[in-house]
Amino acid sequence: MVMAIDDTIVEIKNVSKTFNGVVHALDNVSIAIGKNEIIGVVGENGAGKSTLMKILVGVYPPDNGEWYYKGTKVPFPKNPKEAAKRGISIVYQEKGVIPCLKVYQFLFLGHEDKYIKYSRLDIDKIKKYAREILEEFHVKCNIENFMYELPLSTQKMIEIAKAILNVRLEHEDDNITSVIILDEPTAPLTIEERRELFSDILNMKKNVSFVFVSHIIPEVMEFTDRVHVLRDGKMVAHYDLSKDKITEEDFFRAIVGKESLERIYKPEIKRVASEEVVLIVKNLTKNGSYYDISFELHRGECIGIFGPAGSGKSEIINTIAGLISFENGALIIKGQEAKPKESPHVRLARGIGYFSGETGKELFLNWPITKNISIVNIKKILRKFIRVINFNAEKQMAEKIVQKLRIKTPGVNTDCYSLSGGSKQKVSVGKWFERSPDILLLEDPTIGIDVGARKDIYENTLEIKKRGISMILISDDPKEYSLLCDKIIFIKHGKIQKVISGEKFKQELEK
Amino acid sequence: MKIPNKKKLIPSIIIQTIKIYPVTLFLFALVVIFSSLYPEKFLNPLNLSTILRQFVSLMLFALGPSIVVVTGSLDLSYVGIWMLGGILVWLLMPTLGIFSILVIPLLGLATGFIVGVIQAKAKMPSFILTLSVLVIYCGLTGTISGGISRSVRGYEFITARLIPYIPTAFLWTIPIIIAAVFIMKYTKIGIYLYAIGSNEEGARLAGINVDKYKILAFTISGLFSGIGSVIYFQHQGGSVPVVLNLNTMVWPLVAIVLGGTPLTGGSGGPQRTILGALTFTVLCRGLTLSFLDPTMIQLITGLLLIASIIASSRGSKGVTIL
Amino acid sequence: MVRLLPEWFRKNMSTIGPIVAAIAVVGVFQMINPLFLRYQGIITLVYAMSYFLIAACGLTFVIMMGSFDFSVVSLLKLSALICVLYIDKLGLLVIPLALSICVGFGFINGLLFAKLKVPSFMATLGVSVVVEGIALYLSKGFLHIMNDRTFRALSVTFVADLPSIFYWAIGVWIICTFIAIWTPFGRRIYAIGGNPIGAMLSGINVESNRIYVFMLSGFFAGLAGILYMAQFGGGSIEIGADMTIPLFASVVAGGTALTGGVGGPQRTLLGVIIITWIQAGLLMLGVGRSIQLVVFGLIAIVMGISTIDRRRIRIIK
Repeated sequence: MVMAIDDTIVEIKNVSKTFNGVVHALDNVSIAIGKNEIIGVVGENGAGKSTLMKILVGVYPPDNGEWYYKGTKVPFPKNPKEAAKRGISIVYQEKGVIPCLKVYQFLFLGHEDKYIKYSRLDIDKIKKYAREILEEFHVKCNIENFMYELPLSTQKMIEIAKAILNVRLEHEDDNITSVIILDEPTAPLTIEERRELFSDILNMKKNVSFVFVSHIIPEVMEFTDRVHVLRDGKMVAHYDLSKDKITEEDFFRAIVGKESLERIYKPEIKRVASEEVVLIVKNLTKNGSYYDISFELHRGECIGIFGPAGSGKSEIINTIAGLISFENGALIIKGQEAKPKESPHVRLARGIGYFSGETGKELFLNWPITKNISIVNIKKILRKFIRVINFNAEKQMAEKIVQKLRIKTPGVNTDCYSLSGGSKQKVSVGKWFERSPDILLLEDPTIGIDVGARKDIYENTLEIKKRGISMILISDDPKEYSLLCDKIIFIKHGKIQKVISGEKFKQELEK
Repeated sequence: MKIPNKKKLIPSIIIQTIKIYPVTLFLFALVVIFSSLYPEKFLNPLNLSTILRQFVSLMLFALGPSIVVVTGSLDLSYVGIWMLGGILVWLLMPTLGIFSILVIPLLGLATGFIVGVIQAKAKMPSFILTLSVLVIYCGLTGTISGGISRSVRGYEFITARLIPYIPTAFLWTIPIIIAAVFIMKYTKIGIYLYAIGSNEEGARLAGINVDKYKILAFTISGLFSGIGSVIYFQHQGGSVPVVLNLNTMVWPLVAIVLGGTPLTGGSGGPQRTILGALTFTVLCRGLTLSFLDPTMIQLITGLLLIASIIASSRGSKGVTIL
Repeated sequence: MVRLLPEWFRKNMSTIGPIVAAIAVVGVFQMINPLFLRYQGIITLVYAMSYFLIAACGLTFVIMMGSFDFSVVSLLKLSALICVLYIDKLGLLVIPLALSICVGFGFINGLLFAKLKVPSFMATLGVSVVVEGIALYLSKGFLHIMNDRTFRALSVTFVADLPSIFYWAIGVWIICTFIAIWTPFGRRIYAIGGNPIGAMLSGINVESNRIYVFMLSGFFAGLAGILYMAQFGGGSIEIGADMTIPLFASVVAGGTALTGGVGGPQRTLLGVIIITWIQAGLLMLGVGRSIQLVVFGLIAIVMGISTIDRRRIRIIK
C-alpha cells in the first residue's frame, strides 16, 4: 500500500478487536483510504467486515490500533458524530431510510439545530441547501417527494448524499473530502438499478472516496480501484485492480482459503439420484430478481444454485419456499402445480421445507430444544388413540438429534437462548432432518459454524440424501457445493449461465 | 412553467386538498346530506353552535393523543387526567384558591412524563399502559370525590359568553390547536416524532435519541390533555364525572383515525385530526337530529372506528403488530 | 434492580413469582382478619372467582399468542343480557344463542386482526364499542331480573357445599390447561406468540389459528356471561364496567407475558386467585371500589412490565 501521505485521508493501522466468545474478530488489520478512490472490502460473513465498519464509524472502539486523519494521528472516534469529524460516515445496508419523511427532511435529519431561527426551523434555508446538494450529485428527484415515493436506487443515492452531508456539516466546509462507507449498498436493488447506482457513484468520485463493503465479487471487481480481502479477521490479500490482473477465482481462493479446502471432511460420495422427479421449475420469472429459471429436481438429488450475492439465488430459493411470490412460469411439486402466492405452511404441506442459517428467524429461542424440534414433527409425537402430545416421545426425539449432530448442551430441556450460535444452528438443522420433507431447501446452512460442527452437519445431510430427500443448496462456501451437490447451476444477474455436475465442479475447485 | 389562469387555479387547490386529506370528501358529503334532509334543524345557528361545542370537546382530548400516535404509540390516559385533575381542583380549592386550576396541566405533564419513561425504558406496550393509568386515575377520582360528582365555582370567566353563538371555549381552543400544529410541522421535535413513527430503527441510526423523544411526545401529550381539560372542565360546568364512560375515551380515537393519521405513525397528526373531529361531530349531530335511536349512535361509532382503522391499516407496510 | 437478583431466580421468577405473591396475599389478609376464611367468606370468594376465571382463561389464550382482546368484558355483558332478555321467549335456547353470538364476534375480531391486519387492540376495542352499543340498545339501560329457576340452577346448585358455578370454572380451567399443554393446537398458539415468522416457516397456518383463538376467547366470554347471569340473577348495562383491567391483571399476574409465547391458562388460576383475594380483602377492609381500581391498575402495570421478555429485541410501541 504505497501511497503519498498527502493523498491519504483516513488510515488505520494494526487494528485488532476481540469479543468475549469470538477470538480475533479483527486481527492486525490496516487500511488506507486516499482521495478520489473507491476501495473494496470483501470477505465471507463473519470475516470481520461488519466489525471493521463499526470501528470506523465509532460504534465501538478497537482493542488496539492507530488512526491517522490526513497524516496526523488522532484518537478513534467514540460515536458516529466524532467519526464524521474525522471525515467518515456510513450508509447502512437496510433500515437507514425513513419512508414518511420528505427528501429535504431526511437529508438534514439530525442536523436541525444548525438551522433554527426564533425557535422554529428555517425551512427555506434547508430546502435551498437540499436542492443544491441534489443537483451536485445529480439526483433526479423533487425535494418535496416523500422518501417512500422514490425508487430504491434514488433512495440509496439520497442516503449517500446524507452521509456526505454529515461529514460536511461537522466540518462546516463544503470542500472537505469525505469517506463514505457503503455497506452492501446494492442488496435490495434490481439488476438495472445497480447499474444506475454505480454510474452515479462513479460520478461522485471527485470529492468523495468510498469504501465499498460487499460480497458481490463481480461488482467489486468492476467498480473499485483497490480491494482488501478479509478472512477470519485477518487481511489476507490486497489487490490493486489498476495494476494487477485478478480473476474471480483468485478472489474465491482468497476469501475461502486454500488450506481449508484440505481440512474438509471427505466422505465417500455416492451420487444417488433416482429417476423420479419431485420438483419441476419451469421458466420461473420475477422481474428484477430472476428470469426464466428452469430445472428439474430428482428424488435423492441435491442441486446447488451457485452465484455471487445478488445473482438471484436467494430469491429463487425463497420463492420455492413460499416467502416470495413469482410472476411468471410454473412450479410443479410432486406433480401438483403450486400457486404463485402461497404461504410457507402451504408449501410445507406440499412437501417443501426451508431452512435458513439465519438463526432467530425460525427458532423459538425461549423454547427448549425439545419443543423446537417437535414443532415441525408434531404428528410423530402424538399418542395413538387420543391425539395428545407424548412428552416422553418428544424427549427421546430430541435426545436422538442431539446425539447424532453432537449438539453441545447440558440437556434437551435447555432453552435455546443459552446455546451457542453453532448449537442453535444444529438444532434448526436437526429438526428438519427429523422431519425429512420430500424437498429441503438449505440457505447458508453452515454460516458461522466451526469446522468440527460442519462435519457433523455434512454427515447428516448426506445421510438423509441417501434416504431419498432431495435438496436445493445455497451457500457462500464453494466447498459445500462440491461436497453435497450432484448438479450445480451457475447463476448471474438472475439468469442461468451453465449447469455442471458435482464431480466436474470439484475438479475445477481443486485446481 | 406557465401560470395557470385563475379559472383553473381554484379547482386544482380543491383537488390537492382532497388528495392530501381524503376525509374532506366525506365531510362535504355529510354536510350536503344533512343539510338537504333537515334544512331547518341542521343549518340553523343553534345547531352550528352545538357542533362547535362538540367539536371543541373532541379536539381538546384528541390533540394530545394525536401527537403520540404519530410516533406509533397510543395514549389513552387523557380522560383520566381530566377526571383526576378536576377532582384535585375541587380538593385544593380551599387551600390554593384560584390557582388550583393549575394542578390540571401539571398533572397532565407529570402523567405524560411517567408514562413516557415507562414506555421507553421498561418497554411496556403503550395501549395497555395508558389504559391502566386511566383506570388508576378513575379509581383515585372516585376515592377522593367519595363517589359523588363535585363541582367547583369560580372559573366561569373561562367560558363566559363573548360572541353570540360561538362558544368561548372554541376561542380558547384555537391557540392550542395552532400550538400543536406548529410543534408538529415547524420544529425539530415534530420531524423527529414523524421519523420515529416511520422507522424507529432508522431514526436511531440517524443519531436521534429515540427514548428522549418518545418521552417528550408523551409529556407533550399529557400537557395538552391537561390544558384541554382545563377548558373542558369549565365547558362542562366545573365538574367531572366519577364513572368512566367508554365513549368519552373512544371518540377522540375515532377523530384521530378518521382524520387520516395511521396508527402505525409516521404521518398525519393534529392537522388531520381537526378534520376528523369535525367530520365525526357533524356525523353525530346529524344522526342525533334524525330519528335514529340514540343508542344506534354508539353502534355507528364503533363501526366507523373499525372501518377507518381498516382503511388506514391497508397502508401499513408489513408491520408485525400486537 | 431486577438485574441484581441471582440468575436462577430470575429465570424462574415467572413461575415462582405468582406462587409467592399468592401466598403473600393470602397471608397478609389472614393476619389482618383471622376470621377471613370463615364459611361465608369462602363462598363469596368462590362466587367472585368462578365467572372471572372462565373469562380469564379465554383471554389467556389471546395474550399467549401475543395479542390482546379488549372485547371480552363487553361480550360477557352481551351474553348475560341476551339470556335475561330472551329466556321467556326461548327458554334454555338462549344459551346456544348467546354462545354463537359471542363466537361470531370473536370470529370478527380474528378476521379484522388476521386478515385485515388491524392491530388486535384496536380491532377488539372497536368491536367492543359495537357490542356495547348493541347491549345498550337491547336493554334500553334498564335493569332486568332473571327468574327462570332452571337457568339459575346452572350456577347456584350446591354440590358438596360449593355452588355449581365453581365446578364449571374448574372444569373450564382443566380443559384450557389441557388444550394448552397437551394438544398440538396449544403448541401452535405458543409458537405464534413466540415467533410468528418462525411459526409460519414451521408449517403453522398463522392466520387461521389466530382466528380460532379469538373465537375461543369469545366463547369463554360468552360462557362466563351466561353463568354470571345465572349466578346473580339480574343485570343491566353496568355489568363489568370496570372488569377489563382486573381481568388483564389476573392473566399477567399469573405469569403470562404480554410479549406472548409463555404462560398459559394453568398460570391464570393463580393470577385469578390473587386478584379475587385482593378484591375480597379490600372489600372486607371497607375499601371502596375506587381504590380497588387503583390497586388493580398498579398491579397491571407492574406485572405487565415484569413479565415482558426483554431478550426479544422488538420495537415496542
